[in-house]
Amino acid sequence: MISMPPSERDLHAYVDHQLDADDRRRVETFLAGNPSLSAQVRAWQQDAQQLRAALGGALQQAANPALDPALIRQRLKRQSRRHLASAAVLLIAVGMGGFSGWKAREMTLLSAAQPMADAMQAYRLFAQQGMLPADYKVSDNGDMQGWLDRYFTQANRLPDLSRAGFTPVSGRLLSTEQGPAAMVVYEDGSANKISFYVRPPGPRNFLLPRGSRSDGELQAEYWSGGGYNYAMVSPNDTPAAQMLRQTVKF
Amino acid sequence: MNDIDEQLREIIPRLRRFALSLTRNASSADDLVQSCLERALSSWGDKRAEGDLRAWLFAILYRQFLDAHRRSRRYARMLEFFTGRDDSQPSAERTVLAQSTLQAFDQLSTEQRALLLWVSVEGMSYKEVAAILDVPTGTVMSRLSRARQALRQLSDGEITRPSLRRLK
Repeated sequence: MISMPPSERDLHAYVDHQLDADDRRRVETFLAGNPSLSAQVRAWQQDAQQLRAALGGALQQAANPALDPALIRQRLKRQSRRHLASAAVLLIAVGMGGFSGWKAREMTLLSAAQPMADAMQAYRLFAQQGMLPADYKVSDNGDMQGWLDRYFTQANRLPDLSRAGFTPVSGRLLSTEQGPAAMVVYEDGSANKISFYVRPPGPRNFLLPRGSRSDGELQAEYWSGGGYNYAMVSPNDTPAAQMLRQTVKF
Repeated sequence: MNDIDEQLREIIPRLRRFALSLTRNASSADDLVQSCLERALSSWGDKRAEGDLRAWLFAILYRQFLDAHRRSRRYARMLEFFTGRDDSQPSAERTVLAQSTLQAFDQLSTEQRALLLWVSVEGMSYKEVAAILDVPTGTVMSRLSRARQALRQLSDGEITRPSLRRLK
């Protein structure tokens, strides 16, 4: 119960309907005998009333579809999936130590910028620097295509490079922002390496026209088919690279 | 999930109105509401306190606004440092005569606008407002009292001095 005469705070609480019924009556009785305070309180009430009226219109704005909770929920889910994919790459990276960890991060960051940049990064990390043991080796039981088919159904067949002396020797699975990827490394008798890289086109279904580009000492041939994107990566200016460009039919 | 979304959809117009009263700009208001909803939805499980959903959302939105405001003020100060002038400060000539309650309201400080909207327009309790601002209830009441006096003076058409707009 509030004491009489009411304090200024009590009067505000009265205006804001924050007093219980008894206190409310006591304030009303008091105000009835105090015209100047009563006018003050009425002015506050009018301001509040006018403010409610003035701001009422802002409630009637046309709905903004971008603010729909279901849509925002979806967007958040997509973002967290992307973060999970990056996290998986970083997990691989942790196993390889700090420096290559940054390389792997670059790999996910670059992938959006240039076609199949991740394939080239993967070649550098795994084929050239031999960072990680392979997930699968041909010596295990020989069927590289069968191993690949377990992860990528209806993907293009592994190209046959045997006429140039290259055969598949090892495969490994990777995680990228666009989804799971696999890289198969071919070798010839002199330890030259060519990689075959396959992954989904990503959430925006970014399919590639047949193309080729080089980046530093590497060259990539890329294309799409069967719902996946592919790249074959080899060092520039080697007989193997020329062979890839000229003879391999994808 | 759908139940939560339904509750949110009912509150969104109120969030937009609150954001509008803070930013005074419809598109930045909606940006603010969007980031508020993102924050709310992503921290729903662990952060959502018991109690009024509306008050919880107002609190998130208000803090995000203050953070953004602080950042842009820092940026403005930096600009001022390099260019040697400050466009954000109203000049004497730009001082306006407040004619309506809404114009008067727009001249109040951020916290005063928030206080009046929460209490006078949304009808929230002093206790809820105290929880949002993380101050005692008594402090809410004295700040509210000052906000009301300021609104009253501005509505009466008193000429505002620029310094009054910067009430902290």
